[in-house]
Amino acid sequence: MSGTLHSSTTVGVEGRQATAPMKESCEHQADCLKRIQAILDGGASEAEKQHFKDHIDICKPCIDMYHLEKCIKEALQGKVEKKCCPDKIAAAIQAEITK
Amino acid sequence: MTTMPEIMSDTQLQGYTDEQKYQVFNKEFMPHIDSMYNFAFRLTMDEDDANDLVQDTYLKAFRFISSFEQGTNAKAWLFRILKNSFINDYRKKSKEPAKVDYQDVETTYNSDEASETEHTTDLRFETVQDMIGDEVASALNSLPVDFRTVIILCDIEGFTYEEMAKILDIPIGTVRSRLHRARNLLKDKLKEYAASMGYNKNED
Ligand SMILES: [Zn+2]
Repeated sequence: MSGTLHSSTTVGVEGRQATAPMKESCEHQADCLKRIQAILDGGASEAEKQHFKDHIDICKPCIDMYHLEKCIKEALQGKVEKKCCPDKIAAAIQAEITK
Repeated sequence: MTTMPEIMSDTQLQGYTDEQKYQVFNKEFMPHIDSMYNFAFRLTMDEDDANDLVQDTYLKAFRFISSFEQGTNAKAWLFRILKNSFINDYRKKSKEPAKVDYQDVETTYNSDEASETEHTTDLRFETVQDMIGDEVASALNSLPVDFRTVIILCDIEGFTYEEMAKILDIPIGTVRSRLHRARNLLKDKLKEYAASMGYNKNED
């Protein structure tokens, strides 16, 4: 069913060359997570963006965190039902302000 | 009273005519009514309360329309009014768990880096990808309202940190740390759901 290509080499955020050895553990995980969230939220500072660029392709835990955070954010944006305001409420508001 | 605009500060708008009021209201405020309703519903978790909250908010917005500066962010302005109305008028009567619960969570998730580190693992993104919207919504709904709020504003409504700071009347640093804690808690909830639904088996 899934027509997408599943390649185990595409874990990196952007096409990564296998130059530096991949870090299996991250010593600043909590800070990294905050930074990753700021990146995904579009609220990261320049310094945070730079750090992210330098770090993200060489640190396995950070790559995993990035994918998870991104995935959750997308699920919240795209999957959670958005309730619409009943027409009668909009009508009631209009009636109230014009009387 | 058809007075000429008097000397006013930059932030205070010259008086609108009635005509202009309706125009601003319909052009700047009404287009956000679905987002407002969704926010109200996610806060109160009740359709009738959401109806009332949205209606109250819009009527307040109309009453105070002269303090809205045209061209500024109407959506954030409206969300701020709604949030304040919720805190002042609805929070007490909503089906929110008692404050004690919130305190517990605050303490747990506030505490230290150590606990944060532990939260960063072992929920797999594939698991989240497999979940349907209702399951994600249930996890979101189970969060204490202050945590739920920051996630709704940021992830569902797409407000910036700066806008959120204004809506919630808290500094940007607090927005960020509250989001961080909210997300750790959400991940725990997602994991619980995943486990109870049998998502978490090590297939592949
Ligand atoms: Zn790292």
